Amino acid sequence: MNLFKIAWRNLWRNRRRTAITSASILFAVFFALIMRSFQLGFYDHMIRNVIESFSGFLQIQHIDYQDDPSLENTFPYSAELQKTIESTPGITAVVPRIETFALASTGNQTKGALIMGVDPVRERSLSNPENLLVRYRITHEGIDRLNEDGGLPQPVHEKLKDILGNSYTNTGSIAMDLELDEKEDSKILDAIASVSHFPGRYLENQDDGVLVSDRLAKYLRLTVGDTLILMGQGYHGATAADLYPVRGIIKLINPELDNKIVYMNLPYAQDFTGVGDKVTAVGINLADNSDKNMLAIQRSLAEKLNSDKIKVKNWKEFNPVLVQQIEGDNQSGKAFLALLYFVIFFGIFGTVLMMIHERHREFGMLVSIGMRKTKLALIMVIEMFLIGVLGVISGTVISLPLLYYFHIHPIRLTGGLAQTMEDMGFDPLMPLAWTESYVIWQGLIVALMVVLSCLYPLRKVLKLKETEALRN
Amino acid sequence: MKVIELKNVEKIYNDSEFKVHAIRGIDLDFEEGEFAAIVGPSGSGKTTLLNMLGGLDKPSAGDIMIGGTHINELKGSKLIDFRLHNIGFVFQSYNLIPVLTAKENVEFIMQMQRRPAAKRLERTRELLEKVGLGDRLNSRPNKLSGGQQQRVAVARALASKPRFILADEPTANLDSVSTENLLDIMEQLNREEKITFIFSTHDARVVKKAKRVITIEDGKVIRDEWKEEDVR
Ligand SMILES: Nc1ncnc2c1ncn2[C@@H]1O[C@H](COP(=O)(O)OP(=O)(O)OP(=O)(O)O)[C@@H](O)[C@H]1O
Ligand SMILES: [Mg+2]
Repeated sequence: MNLFKIAWRNLWRNRRRTAITSASILFAVFFALIMRSFQLGFYDHMIRNVIESFSGFLQIQHIDYQDDPSLENTFPYSAELQKTIESTPGITAVVPRIETFALASTGNQTKGALIMGVDPVRERSLSNPENLLVRYRITHEGIDRLNEDGGLPQPVHEKLKDILGNSYTNTGSIAMDLELDEKEDSKILDAIASVSHFPGRYLENQDDGVLVSDRLAKYLRLTVGDTLILMGQGYHGATAADLYPVRGIIKLINPELDNKIVYMNLPYAQDFTGVGDKVTAVGINLADNSDKNMLAIQRSLAEKLNSDKIKVKNWKEFNPVLVQQIEGDNQSGKAFLALLYFVIFFGIFGTVLMMIHERHREFGMLVSIGMRKTKLALIMVIEMFLIGVLGVISGTVISLPLLYYFHIHPIRLTGGLAQTMEDMGFDPLMPLAWTESYVIWQGLIVALMVVLSCLYPLRKVLKLKETEALRN
Repeated sequence: MKVIELKNVEKIYNDSEFKVHAIRGIDLDFEEGEFAAIVGPSGSGKTTLLNMLGGLDKPSAGDIMIGGTHINELKGSKLIDFRLHNIGFVFQSYNLIPVLTAKENVEFIMQMQRRPAAKRLERTRELLEKVGLGDRLNSRPNKLSGGQQQRVAVARALASKPRFILADEPTANLDSVSTENLLDIMEQLNREEKITFIFSTHDARVVKKAKRVITIEDGKVIRDEWKEEDVR
C-alpha cells in the first residue's frame, strides 16, 4: 500500500472528474498533434518543392550575385571547383547553372523569358525537367476521334471539354482533373491518352535545342520542332541573339515560372551570353537536410573553397522570402499551441484546486496522525501525473493512426485553396509530417503543465495547518 | 510514570479580530495507563487543550512535556514524526483514508513507521479482531457504520504503539449503542494493553466510564477527580 496505490485509487474516487480532466488533455494533445503535423508537413512540402527540387539546399554564388543578380556577378566553373565540391562528403548533387533574362520571340509574339542554362544530366538530380515534359495535350482532334470511336460516358465528355487545351505530364493528372479513378477507369484513360500524345524529348548532351515552359509556349504559339528566337544583353553589355529549335514543352506547377522558363544546354547558354566558362550558381543537394548538417557542410565547403569571390549560401540565406513565410506561419501555429497548453494548464489547475479543497479535512487528519506534508504533496502530484499520462497516451493513441494515414496519403486540395497553393508554386498537397520527437515533446509539455499547475496547490499543502484543516 | 506534564499552559488565539483567552494557566499531569475524560461546557477549551497535548497546536505560554520531550520546541517534520511515533489520534469523524480498506488503514500507519511487513499484518489482524472487526478487514470506510469506523480509528491509533491516545469527542456522532460499544472497547484496551486514553466528551454516559474526570470551565481546571477503584 504505497503512495502510488493511494494516488491510483483516488483517481477512481471521482471518476467523472478524472475522466473530464484526462479528456481535456486528450483533446488538446490530439488537436496539437494533428495541427502541428499538418504545419510541419506543409513546411516540409514547401521546402521540398522550392528548395530540394529547384534551387538546392546550398548554392555557390558570386559574392555580389544575391544583391545584383547579373551576368557581371558570375564565376568560372572549373573542373577543379567541381572536384572540390564533389569530394565533400554528404553532397548528393552538384548542379551548375546560368540564369539570365532574355526576350523570347517567334517573330510575331515576344515575351520576357528566364533562360536556364543547365547540364541536362546533372540537372536531373535537381529540378529534373525531364519529369516535367508535356506528354499529353487535350485537343479538338483528339476529342473528335474519341467520338468517332464510339464516344465516352457523357459526364466524362463534358469534363473533357473543360480541360481542352490543357497539357499533362502523366495520365495520373488527367485522371485527377477528370475526377476519374486511375485503376477503375483505366480503359477511358487509355483511350484519352491514346489520342492525346504530345511529342517532345529531353535535352541531350551537346543538344543545341531548348525546352520551353507550357504557358510561354502557348503565348508564343510554339510547339515542338519550331524555332525560338532569343535576344538579350550578354556579358559586359554585348548583344546576344540566336535561334534554337524547340525539343520539348515542360509544365511547371508554379504559374509564374511556367510563364517564362526556357531550359538550354549550359555551353550554349554560356555561348549565348558570352560569359565563357562562367556560371551564375552551383546548386547543391545534401544527403541529410537537417539544419545542423547543412550548416556543417556549408562551413566545411567554404573553408575548402577559401575564396573572396564566391560564397556558399544556404537556402535560408538566398531565399529569405520562404523563410519569412514559414516563420510567420510557424509563429501563429505556436500561438495556437500555447493556447491549447493553457487550456490543459487550467484543466489540471482547476482539478487540483477542487481536489485539495474537498480533501482538506482528510489532509489535516493525515498530517495530524503523522504523515509528512511532502508525502502528501507527492500523492497529489502522482495523481495529477497519472491524469496527465492518461490524457497524453489516449490522445496520442487516437491521433497516431490518423497521422500515419495522412502521412502516407496526403490530402490533395481542390478548389480555391488548391489554386492559391498552385499560384504560390506548390503542389496542392497537404502532407502530414511524421515526427516521433513531436509526440515526445507533447508528453514533456503536458508534464510541465502538470508541474506548473501543481505549484500553487502544493504550496497550500505544505502550509497546511492541522487544527484549521480538522475544524468543521 | 508521567507521560504528560503541563506547566502553567496558556493559550490565546490572536488570529481573529478578537483575542480569545482559551486556556488560562493549566497545570496537569497524566500517568501511564490512565483513562481520563475532559469535560466542560461548549467553548470551555477542551479541544484547544487536546490539540496542544497532541502537538497539533502550540501554547502561547507554559510548557508541555511528553515522555520527557519539550514538544513546544519541535517544528515541521520533526514534530510530525514525533506525533507518528508517540501519539495516537481518534477524531470525531473523517478518521480514515477513504480509498483504503479497514486493514489497509491500520497497516498504513505502521508502514509510515517503517515496521517490517510481516509484523504489520499480524498486528493489524490482532487489533481489528480486538475491536470486533475481524470480519471486516477488507471493507472500505464507506461500507462501515459510524461506530465501526471509530473502532477502526481506535485500532489504528493503537497500531502505532503510542505513549497515549487522544480522542476529541469520539462518540459525538454515534448513537447510544455504538457509544457504549466504543467505550467498552476503549476501556478493555486500557485494562488489557495498559494504553493511556485521554478523551473529551459531553456525554454523561461516557463520563461515567472514565476513571479520572477533569472538568474545565473558561479555560481553567475547576475539578480533577479520580474514581475510588482507580489504583492511584
Ligand atoms: N482557531 C481559533 N481562533 C479563535 N478562537 C478560537 C479558535 N479555536 C477555538 N477558539 C475559541 O476558544 C475557546 C475554546 O474553544 P474550544 O474549541 O477549545 O472549546 P470546546 O470546549 O472544545 O468546545 P466544544 O465543546 O463546543 O467543542 C472558544 O471560545 C472558541 O471560540
Ligand atoms: Mg471541542
